[in-house]
Amino acid sequence: MPAISLTINGRPHGPIEVREDLSMNDFLREVLGLTGTKFGCGAAQCLSCAVIVDAADGTSATMPTCVVAAADFDRKKIRTIEGHARDGVLTPLQTSFITHFAFQCGYCTPGFLAEGQVLLERLEKAPIARAEVERTITEALDGHLCRCSGYVKYHEAVRDVILADPKRYLT
Amino acid sequence: MIPHRRLFTLLAAAAVGLLSAALARGEGSPPAAPLAPPASFSAIADPAELSAAYFAELSKVLTSPRCTNCHPAGDRPRQGDAARPHQPPVFRGPDGKGLTSLRCAMCHREANFDPAGMPGHPHWQLAPAEMAWEGKTPREICIQIKEPARNGGRSVEDLIAHIGDDTLVGWAWAPGGGRTPAPGTQAEAKALVRAWVESGAVCPK
Repeated sequence: MPAISLTINGRPHGPIEVREDLSMNDFLREVLGLTGTKFGCGAAQCLSCAVIVDAADGTSATMPTCVVAAADFDRKKIRTIEGHARDGVLTPLQTSFITHFAFQCGYCTPGFLAEGQVLLERLEKAPIARAEVERTITEALDGHLCRCSGYVKYHEAVRDVILADPKRYLT
Repeated sequence: MIPHRRLFTLLAAAAVGLLSAALARGEGSPPAAPLAPPASFSAIADPAELSAAYFAELSKVLTSPRCTNCHPAGDRPRQGDAARPHQPPVFRGPDGKGLTSLRCAMCHREANFDPAGMPGHPHWQLAPAEMAWEGKTPREICIQIKEPARNGGRSVEDLIAHIGDDTLVGWAWAPGGGRTPAPGTQAEAKALVRAWVESGAVCPK
């Protein structure tokens, strides 16, 4: 069995032996007990299982965990839903989700939060014009499914964070 | 005691169930359709007809969903033997590797991950838009594949290595996950491309 080492929410884990057929989702939930990352469709079609992967160049991206082997995350730095708030203080995006009552059952929320956070981090590095905001948010959240149909509220929550800090996110 | 007919039905159902489960786990794929070797066309005397026959046989590979799913007519790949629109809805993006928010490599890793039925390869991506084959006839693909502007800047000689040796193309013969492989083998396809090129690269009518 391969052994993997990775950093999750700033904390190093491993080396831990994993079966080659173990998905990252099972690794997080069953091995590490990080159950905030959800298992939805199991086919990378809803992205409720998405986590943030931090690349060495400072960029971030989401990645589904249900269809990817745990072994593929060896030496990666990731953030799960448990790692967004710091010392009990929610991020602006988490706060905005609550303000907008963006989630109902909440099952898709970890994925939406990860995607929204990645978008904010991308816009910090490459701000966009105000006119591009709606399209950019729509495209960013496009792959995520919400059975409660909270799409508009999620969209508005992300938009509010962007517009609340135009110097950071807008040109 | 179970009547013979019912016993047969139960055994058949069990066999189908086991097969389906095995395919879902990626333990095997349906058998590939055969691909005739160049020598099997030796009865064709006319050189142009012979060359065109090579390509017609090769087109069984090129029109396979293993190829056309990632040589789509639009900006969205297809998937499965039925060539369904890809789910989740992903799109070509500026480099053929997806939009910024949904890159191919997010799911398609270095190799197939059979527990999830997820195909993989280090260079997973869509073929360039100008190399779209979906919905085209063998003749249309043949004409297209000879034009560097529509074949990735290759000479016809380059196609021998592209189809015969490229490992991403080679995935089509080992797709896993219950997907039907492209007909024949990659070596057999290479032999057909070589025979077609060396015989003048004539397109079928």
